[in-house]
Amino acid sequence: MIEDELRAAFARLEESTPPVGPVRAAVDRAVITRRRRRRRVRLAGTALAVAAVALVGFTAMAPRPPAPTAAPLLATPEPEPGGALNLLLLGVDQSAGSRRADSVLLVHVPADRSRLYLVSLPRDLLVPAPGGTEKLNATFSRATGSGTDLAAGYRATRQAVARLTGVRVDAGAVLTYPGARDLTDAVGGVPVCLPEPVRSVHTERRFPAGCQRLDGAAAVDLLRQRYGLRDGGLDRDRNAARYAAGLLRQMRERGTATDPAQLNRLLIRIGPAVTVDAGDLSLPALVGATARAGAAEPVAVAFPVLAEWNGRGYEADPELTPGFLDALRADRLGEWAAAHPARVTGLR
Amino acid sequence: MTYEEFADARLGALLRYAVMLTGDPHQAQDLVQDTMVRVQLHWRRVARSDAPERYVRRMLTNQFIDWRRGSWARRVLLRGDVDDSVPASADHAQSAVDRDQVRSWLSRLPRRQRAALVLRYYEDLPDGEIAEILGCAVGTVRSSISRALATLRAELVEVS
Repeated sequence: MIEDELRAAFARLEESTPPVGPVRAAVDRAVITRRRRRRRVRLAGTALAVAAVALVGFTAMAPRPPAPTAAPLLATPEPEPGGALNLLLLGVDQSAGSRRADSVLLVHVPADRSRLYLVSLPRDLLVPAPGGTEKLNATFSRATGSGTDLAAGYRATRQAVARLTGVRVDAGAVLTYPGARDLTDAVGGVPVCLPEPVRSVHTERRFPAGCQRLDGAAAVDLLRQRYGLRDGGLDRDRNAARYAAGLLRQMRERGTATDPAQLNRLLIRIGPAVTVDAGDLSLPALVGATARAGAAEPVAVAFPVLAEWNGRGYEADPELTPGFLDALRADRLGEWAAAHPARVTGLR
Repeated sequence: MTYEEFADARLGALLRYAVMLTGDPHQAQDLVQDTMVRVQLHWRRVARSDAPERYVRRMLTNQFIDWRRGSWARRVLLRGDVDDSVPASADHAQSAVDRDQVRSWLSRLPRRQRAALVLRYYEDLPDGEIAEILGCAVGTVRSSISRALATLRAELVEVS
């Protein structure tokens, strides 16, 4: 009975189907502009085989910054690690006494090294913990405590991320806000494109919608904003991904990652602000692997969560998460992103 | 198959499907347009799949369900989901329920449930294929269809 009503309603709806011609023409027009834009991006990027995202940023600064006289980092070519790699980047706020991981970014380097995938994990994502669930970033605070041992916090978060995603975290780094500020200034500012204006609740700063170049102080200000954004912390994660992509672009354009002298200067300048875990990989091998993938515009996706805040944090989306994790593990994030355009963060 | 051949053969059907999903010709047009742009840009990948048509239908369905962030989602938000401006017809004799009423109930269903209804009662697809398009288990398809029907039945009882 209700089924018949349904079929009848659908049949009536059919009459309002728009004609095919205009749609087809509009699609062709849109494709032409998109292709043109893509070509421009590629031209800007091809000349320089670069930039392990923040990686260079991050990677290179081992706990002991290399001495100025040390041999150039990239002098000795090493065999590149094969297969996909996953790198964990943590942005940490330690201004308020305690330390919190505000941004958790998993950088997936596919086996074909075609591009980097920036996967934002919401810091308020609820993850299994002894005796229930806790926020992802609680693992960091608990391990770090009130001490200064960022490495302990990193290790705990790495474990939580590995448990959550089922992928091995091959390397990673922790960047503090002062570190991000210095890094931004050291590369000459970072271009960031915002879909909507952002107003800082910490300073008087206003970030207009559209593309802009941020200096270190402005970049950190933006990375801290969460209130007043449409999706709060989730939008901040998107801005962090936009920042990482901009940093990558900037390093690519300046040739920072491919020029050992420039790279060394950068490392010396910001080395102390960064904690790095190169895992089993050597630094040059890691930079080599990510540099090729970094030459293309990255794709940023967010770990699928339910948009509703459940009072304690964000829950993983039960329908999308399994497919997403399968794609991550099987190195098929590109397909997943193509099938879920709404989960992809616009970077330009 | 080339993109042109695919569009010649399937664009009309996709538009009709999008109309059923969205209940609105403009939104349907936006939805199909956005999907087909991506289809054309990534045609090689689409053509490589076993069944390009199903692959595209899946892309379109995902985009519809995943409406929260996409570019067309914002337009949908602005327009609102339920079109209440359409005056209800006074002629109740022509049908047990008002013709626009079913449509407005439909638009209030969760998108995934609505998509499942369209796939079964408009496209007449078997549950297995529906599950494949929605990317879930056959059992999930059945339960979401029965939940959707229950919602609609409850509405029906209320008016009659």
